[in-house]
Amino acid sequence: MGPSDGRPVTAHVRGPSLRDETETASVMMTAHEITRASASVPVGLLQELRGILSAAAVVDEPQRLVVYECDGFVVEKNMPDVVVFPESTEEVAAVVRACNRHNVPFLPRGAGTSLAGGCLPVGGGIMIALTRMKAIHEINLRDRYAVVDPGLVNVHLTQKLKGSGYHYAPDPSSQGACTLGGNFATNSGGPHTLKYGVTVNHVLGAEVVLANGDVVMLGGPTEDIPGYDLTGLFVGSEGTLGICTRLWVRLTRDPAAYRTMLAVFETVDDATVAISEIIGAGIVPAALEMMDQGIIEAVEAAFHFGFPLDAGAVLLMEVDGLELEVDAEATRMESICTACGAREVRRANSPEERLKLWKCRKQAFGAIGRLSPSYCTQDGVVPRTKLPQILQHIQDVSRRYDVRIVNVFHAGDGNIHPILLFDERDPDQVERVLAASDEILSRCIDLGGSVTGEHGIGVEKINFMSRLFSPDDLAVMGLIHDCYNPEGRLSPGKMLPVLAGCGNEHMPRRVPGRKAAL
Amino acid sequence: MPSVFTPSTQTELARFVAGNAAGSRQRLRPIGGRTTLSANVANSEEICEIRLGDLKSLVDYPARDMTVTVEAGMTVAELQSILQKEKQRLPVDFAQATRATIGGAVAMNASGPRRAGHGSLRDYLIGVSAVDAQGRLFHGGGRVVKNVAGYDLCKLAIGSRGTLAILTQFTFKLRPLPEAEGLIWTTFDTFAEIENVLERLLVSAARPVAVEVLTPPAAAVIANAAHASLPIDRPVLVIGVEGTESTVMWQIEQLRREMVPFGVQDLQTCTSEAASPVWSALTEFQTPADDPITFQANLRPSRAMEFLTLAHAAGVLAQCHAANGLIVGHIPAEPGGGTPPLGTLTKLREFARTAGGNLTVRHADENLSSRIDWLGDPEPSATLMRQLKKKLDPHELLNPTWFDGAGK
Ligand SMILES: Cc1cc2nc3c(=O)[nH]c(=O)nc-3n(C[C@H](O)[C@H](O)[C@H](O)COP(=O)(O)OP(=O)(O)OC[C@H]3O[C@@H](n4cnc5c(N)ncnc54)[C@H](O)[C@@H]3O)c2cc1C
Repeated sequence: MGPSDGRPVTAHVRGPSLRDETETASVMMTAHEITRASASVPVGLLQELRGILSAAAVVDEPQRLVVYECDGFVVEKNMPDVVVFPESTEEVAAVVRACNRHNVPFLPRGAGTSLAGGCLPVGGGIMIALTRMKAIHEINLRDRYAVVDPGLVNVHLTQKLKGSGYHYAPDPSSQGACTLGGNFATNSGGPHTLKYGVTVNHVLGAEVVLANGDVVMLGGPTEDIPGYDLTGLFVGSEGTLGICTRLWVRLTRDPAAYRTMLAVFETVDDATVAISEIIGAGIVPAALEMMDQGIIEAVEAAFHFGFPLDAGAVLLMEVDGLELEVDAEATRMESICTACGAREVRRANSPEERLKLWKCRKQAFGAIGRLSPSYCTQDGVVPRTKLPQILQHIQDVSRRYDVRIVNVFHAGDGNIHPILLFDERDPDQVERVLAASDEILSRCIDLGGSVTGEHGIGVEKINFMSRLFSPDDLAVMGLIHDCYNPEGRLSPGKMLPVLAGCGNEHMPRRVPGRKAAL
Repeated sequence: MPSVFTPSTQTELARFVAGNAAGSRQRLRPIGGRTTLSANVANSEEICEIRLGDLKSLVDYPARDMTVTVEAGMTVAELQSILQKEKQRLPVDFAQATRATIGGAVAMNASGPRRAGHGSLRDYLIGVSAVDAQGRLFHGGGRVVKNVAGYDLCKLAIGSRGTLAILTQFTFKLRPLPEAEGLIWTTFDTFAEIENVLERLLVSAARPVAVEVLTPPAAAVIANAAHASLPIDRPVLVIGVEGTESTVMWQIEQLRREMVPFGVQDLQTCTSEAASPVWSALTEFQTPADDPITFQANLRPSRAMEFLTLAHAAGVLAQCHAANGLIVGHIPAEPGGGTPPLGTLTKLREFARTAGGNLTVRHADENLSSRIDWLGDPEPSATLMRQLKKKLDPHELLNPTWFDGAGK
């Protein structure tokens, strides 16, 4: 296969390949070879792209493309042949049509914080980076929605709304970097989605460029559009059904009051039992997050909050509501924690203290570098009453495989994030981490849960799909995929196994992800 | 007479549908409690009714996880009573709960007054099983409250009106039952005055879970159904709150103070026992009664009061979930039983359109049925919807006529 047959050829990798650090390094060193690779995008396409976009918005220099070879999932890498930075829906649509004319695959990218390899350009092709489309077009408090561009960073909307009495509820821990388009595609969650729901519960509509380049409007500022909820279907479709170029998002009233608490436990066991008891008692906290001793250590070293280093686990808990009721709720949670063996329960005494607590929580991952050269986060979910079991299982796996595992996660949702620490230069450790991850996720399935609560399937967990879903389930999902992405050129090789024939039908995971998140 | 199949298990249903797809390819119509059938599809001789009433088991209720899994044929009332024993609920209001099945409620995307505070089924449905037109029993989602594996088939099930697949089983996430609830019933001279109050409510110190606006004849129907003596001579605004005894009382007092400067004519509060018949009457109002046409409009909330002004002038009995911009209206027959009220329908639909919304007919008398445009303006995404229907049901076996509007 070569330039002459009009298909893109990527010299260094065809499809995602599995490589260790040394191989990755060798890819970086062969930059000049890659020049030739990107030159293998049909010349006609490159010319067309330069006609559609300004010169600065078409990047094909290998040195600059390297940045785009992976996202937050750094295990599997592949460079796109070209990255484009459109500034309007029309430009996105024109790029998509051009790719189709030349039979070249393409995929959208936001901030690239995906932890599942959602932005991996499987088979190379054109990457459509939406980061230059970042306007806030409208904030309508009367009708409680905002219209925003897909490249807008989540926290920028939060900041813009400050003082209005309203906010955009989904608050992924990566909100300082991730984009609303990326949140749309992955159906992101966050600490406060326990009470307020995940992204799909807050998206009213979207303008989408389909795989064939058509621009369509799904949903909109009015609720209950007659017909199918295509907005709901496209949210969480990981960029495989269309490229979101504008979003209508729901704005939520700020809570009148909140109380933020930190409960300190001797053991992880006690803490997880407390979570179960709180949920079982019918309390709906605004947030309920757990950090175990390993993570506390790292966070304390980074932020000096004053976390007790000898505690087995802490729960970061928040209740919100009317001023009149939050104290009673907080007290109920405190007494449940005490009954479950909490050594102490502290309350954040000021807004500053609350913010600091949340900062520790949201940046916990940044602190992990202090513990280990490499790490791998899993994103399993279990029914909330099964948390004690899964955490015991994780401890057991940690012992059996001799892999250190720390935990920081959305406990109230049953969404665990065990972080496996290792040194990826040691192949034996890598093997053990892989086996351990697999065992943890398999147990999540056995306990009636899922392998991903918010990070998505991407390329990382594609092999788990056939364990979660029957062939019939996957066939129906395949029909939906083919309905809107029939040629499979849009984001090939994601989410659904054996689809679109892009060469990655068989993709054993050999090296676990190193990046982690909460 | 249409033929009938009443499966007693999901697998049995799948086998039947697969046999049908491979064989005679009869058209199929899933049937729940028959509470909204007139909205659904045309009566047809060759259709086979799939009656889901026997698929009604409680599959799993791990109450402490606050999730429940049930089969589609269970009635809403039965589910709510099961949940109530654990002091839990699915906080969506369903009309005709003793007849309506969960499957029907999901297929029609049923809702009611509490959606202002609690959202709708799309916020609670986390798992679904269904049989497609080829007879494949498939599922999407799961039984945990957070899950992003695969396409979100739950969203497709909601409001699909039996056209994509026969829905057989659901998992919902649940909420605790509130300890107390209360309502304030107020009247104003005009809907324009109510709009001022609605704007004030956007920054209220209270957090209402229901914000209902009623035209006077609709208010009369509701007050009457609740056996309550409530003022009904002017446009009515009803606000509902939930919580503990003390937060309910506090919010009612707070709301009263916030509203009074806006020209309240009459104000009555209903708490504890007095509130619940009014809540149910507010929920039941959507059920078609004797009026020839019942519609639902969806608008930007900011345009809803203009719509109500227009509707009221045309004699329509209308209820608006004002925080969500949804309006249910019953168009009465012209006095003397003369010409059918198609002009009113056209006028209201036109307004809905200019207000960025739409209007669909949910019920029409038999004699009007063929003369009515049921679905209103095609949505911009209508082509994509048809594509999906075609992909999942290539032979158009499931509720085939819905896309062209019932009755055609
Ligand atoms: C430190 C850290 C913490 C994190 N915490 C959380 C958390 O709390 N909760 C959570 O849910 N996730 C979390 N994540 C994961 C990640 O941030 C989210 O998945 C986020 O939504 C990705 O946004 P992005 O802009 O970076 O998208 P990208 O990574 O660029 O893209 C993600 C996927 O979306 C697709 N995509 C991007 N833009 C579009 C678009 N406009 N239209 C269609 N498809 C598109 C891509 O093709 C890709 O498949 C975390 C990640 C990190 C690194």
